[in-house]
Amino acid sequence: MRSTRSNAWLAGPALALVALLVVPSMVLLVRLSLCQPAYGVGFYRADSFTWENFTRLLSPEFAPLIGFTCLFGLAVMAGVLPLAWLLAWPLRASGGGRLMIGLLVLLAPRLAGMLAPLVALRLLLPRGVVSAWLAEVFLITPYAALVLLVHLRGIDWTVLAAARGLGARDWQVWSRVGLPLAWPGLWLVGQLALGWGLGAFLGPDILGGPIGRTLATDLHHQAFDNSRWPLAAAEGVLLLVLVGAVYLIRPFGLTRENHP
Amino acid sequence: MMNGSAPSLAADETVPLLCLEGVSFSHGSHEVLHDISMRLQRGALTTLLGPSGSGKTTLLQILGGHLKPFRGTVWLDGTDATHLPPESRGLGLVHQHLALFPHLTVERNVSFGLEVRGKPIAFALEKARATLQLVDLPSDTWTRRPDSLSGGQRQRVAIARALAFGPRALLLDEPFTALDRGLRQRLGGELKRIQRETGVTTLLVTHDQEEALALSDSLVALREGRLVQAGPPAELYQRPRDPWLAGFLGEANLITRGGFLRAEAGECLLVRPEELVPGDQPDSGDYRLQGPVRNVVFRGADSLVTFEAAGLVWKMALAGTEVPRPGEIMKAILPATAGWNVTRGCRP
Repeated sequence: MRSTRSNAWLAGPALALVALLVVPSMVLLVRLSLCQPAYGVGFYRADSFTWENFTRLLSPEFAPLIGFTCLFGLAVMAGVLPLAWLLAWPLRASGGGRLMIGLLVLLAPRLAGMLAPLVALRLLLPRGVVSAWLAEVFLITPYAALVLLVHLRGIDWTVLAAARGLGARDWQVWSRVGLPLAWPGLWLVGQLALGWGLGAFLGPDILGGPIGRTLATDLHHQAFDNSRWPLAAAEGVLLLVLVGAVYLIRPFGLTRENHP
Repeated sequence: MMNGSAPSLAADETVPLLCLEGVSFSHGSHEVLHDISMRLQRGALTTLLGPSGSGKTTLLQILGGHLKPFRGTVWLDGTDATHLPPESRGLGLVHQHLALFPHLTVERNVSFGLEVRGKPIAFALEKARATLQLVDLPSDTWTRRPDSLSGGQRQRVAIARALAFGPRALLLDEPFTALDRGLRQRLGGELKRIQRETGVTTLLVTHDQEEALALSDSLVALREGRLVQAGPPAELYQRPRDPWLAGFLGEANLITRGGFLRAEAGECLLVRPEELVPGDQPDSGDYRLQGPVRNVVFRGADSLVTFEAAGLVWKMALAGTEVPRPGEIMKAILPATAGWNVTRGCRP
């Protein structure tokens, strides 16, 4: 009870920021998504109300875009998970200098900022879905690895030796002990990567080309090229719902015993 | 599972279950274990005793197969097991920090060793529950997670987990270290009972000499990676072959000045505090000690009185309530039959 209260106090500044900045923006976004388009006169019709933008968004016209966005998110997640594991696992029990060097290696690509590596990738790779996917995996992997590393370092890994001592073969040690213990961290990384992938903009925009369009790039296109703000806002709401749903899913298997 | 091509001494009851021959181990340039040779007799509770940093845990890890010795051989049931992996040794190891699986319930922790050996889950759980009964763990805890148990209950789970799959031997790495004294003693007694009931060969690692003396059938003393002495606890306590061991196993008067009990100058004479008796009427050959009391420590069953006499400082165990206070004169007798000449390895 006491720790819950102190956690709430610690989260206070973040909650205040959310209340002041994010909530009003989201309210405005939702409101805008329920406005009628301006049909060439301005960006939207104030004081209007319609579901038209959502019905259009959920029509077959947008199904390929939404489907591709979801697939792209899943693909980013699939790419990030093994990479994050490979980066975090060796550092799970390291200390001192080895950990520092590991963290530097982990974070070095991100120290160059976000655009510079993308420009480099643009020069190296042809435009297309694969390049966009590579870019997004490249962007989110260091963060994902850090999240996983924090989780893995909180686990007492002597249990692996204990499992071997009890007669478990390497695969049994992995499937019955290692994986179940790492599972909540992997789940979190999966959520992070999927959420990131669903909202992917930079990679598809710079490297994706015409076939690599996602909800985020289309939102940009609708807002700034077509001046259809209400439709763009509806896409924004849909993205928020998708990403929110991903983050709200409870880690599967966290409360049950894990058996191969 | 054993290495079929390995040389075999024999596979009968006369062969020690676990045997180390000339085992050495180093961490870089630091030699942790030096030429250790020891054997565990079947069905006995052997204690590996030594101070922190003496190499006890390393030795246990080598026995368990988690570390490879730099030199020497590990024999298991008469077969060379030096390079046998832990999962093929069939030894139940209780780790210092227990290493219980936090994601599994108590009974699934205990059935783990049977499950990974391919036993049906129903059989494994039945065996696990029987073992949990053996270690006296209340049945309402069996379906809980280890982190919801008390320290003592977790110890019992760890012991049950190591026992449930029917190990060749049980290895315990300071399992009671984190517990309070009362619980430590009670669980020590429980361990002894379980060991007697199951007859499992047991090696207990500890730095607690009281625990070692109370529980062991056999005791192995280790210091700075070297084996100091091995034998029954009473032998090591009463007839140590090393002054350090004499002091490590309990309160001791270590006298290196000649003139007492036919010891010569430079020889080390051990007199336990309980060997001194209060009084001032010595028999023929006894020594009369008289001098001021420096300190008195109440120990519950008795008091440890430190006093000066004959130019030496003596410690004496005094039972009862009539204990002198610091500054008063203590009168004691050192019987001619008391003591142990550590240097010569004989009675006076």
